[in-house]
Amino acid sequence: MGRAILPFVALGACLAWSAARAQERPYFVTYDQHMEEPGSVELALNHVAGHPDGGNAFAAASFEVEYGTAGWWTTEVYLTGQSTRHESTTFTGWRVENRFRPFLGDYPVNPVLYVEYEDGDGANKTLQEIVGFDGQEDQTAPVDLAREESEREVELKLILGSDVAGWNISENLIAAKNLGGEAWEFGYAVGASRPLALAASPEACRFCPENFRVGAELYGGLGEEGGLTTQRTSHYLAPVVSWEVGDAVTLRASPAFGLTEASHPFLLRLGIAYEFSGAGPWIKGRKR
Amino acid sequence: VRAAVAALAIGVVAAGAAASARERANPYAGNITAAAAGRKLFLRHCASCHGEGAEGTRRAPALVSAGMRRSRAGELERFLRNGGMSRGMPSWSALPEQRRWQIVTYLESLQVP
Repeated sequence: MGRAILPFVALGACLAWSAARAQERPYFVTYDQHMEEPGSVELALNHVAGHPDGGNAFAAASFEVEYGTAGWWTTEVYLTGQSTRHESTTFTGWRVENRFRPFLGDYPVNPVLYVEYEDGDGANKTLQEIVGFDGQEDQTAPVDLAREESEREVELKLILGSDVAGWNISENLIAAKNLGGEAWEFGYAVGASRPLALAASPEACRFCPENFRVGAELYGGLGEEGGLTTQRTSHYLAPVVSWEVGDAVTLRASPAFGLTEASHPFLLRLGIAYEFSGAGPWIKGRKR
Repeated sequence: VRAAVAALAIGVVAAGAAASARERANPYAGNITAAAAGRKLFLRHCASCHGEGAEGTRRAPALVSAGMRRSRAGELERFLRNGGMSRGMPSWSALPEQRRWQIVTYLESLQVP
């Protein structure tokens, strides 16, 4: 009985919180320097579809809950799953990540430190970052076989971000280590984006240029410990567009084009995010 | 001694930057259209904490006050950009500068003595 009413309690809490317009990043892989507002919760569903050469077409999704714990600290939890044509649909794991912003003012370059722990299996196809020698070959292995591979991983990122003349420019350096005794793997992501209009119009509108943000991101692997390289690694160039549909909803889309032989030829990413503000007192109340 | 000189130089530069930010004029000062756009932005980004009429709530203070009337436009824009985390105010540097000025224009329009 208690469990049965839990979804209604959660829904009631969500309705009690007010919707807030997110400062939503348009990127799928690159992180910018902006943190979740304190006490706000963002729910997001991100989707990626691809078709590796010599493998089956797949779609993968991640469900994300992001919370602004403090102005300098944002925490996120992800659940991931995948579906591969002619094979199976499976839950592939979870991850928890924390971002810390040591300097709170706005500077020409704003650093953010990122720490993540992931527990999943080798069938995870969400491609939320590219490190080491990650490539399309990884997604050609049969799902049943890939699921036997354990992916307990820690990941560190140095996020640098700047806002200049309406543009956001962000750079990420990534280091990831599978705790099964594998070497550190490295990767990068860079992104630049800008709203179509810098000033807002006085009227309420859905399709006006101020609600759209466009840009591009570039991401890929840099080899591993003892062998930093771009040889045999995958790299992607991906235009991004985001649309703030309403006061709290943001839609995002990004076609990604593989730049090397190891890369997927094409990936399509789609995302929807909904943000609530004012969840902080409720969450803190539950903790007591 | 070198460290002290460097710290002093950084302090002077930072103070200079803050002073020049304070002196910056609002490019939309008195512009009714910008104030209307600022109201729309305020309702979207700020009202959930400061109240729909900027009257303040349990979460954030009123923005119609003697203190606000004394503040310069440049100071307000700078505060929006940097935030004040010790007081729970997030940074709005993700908003383009033009939109921060539009919010400042709206806030200035509320400050009737």
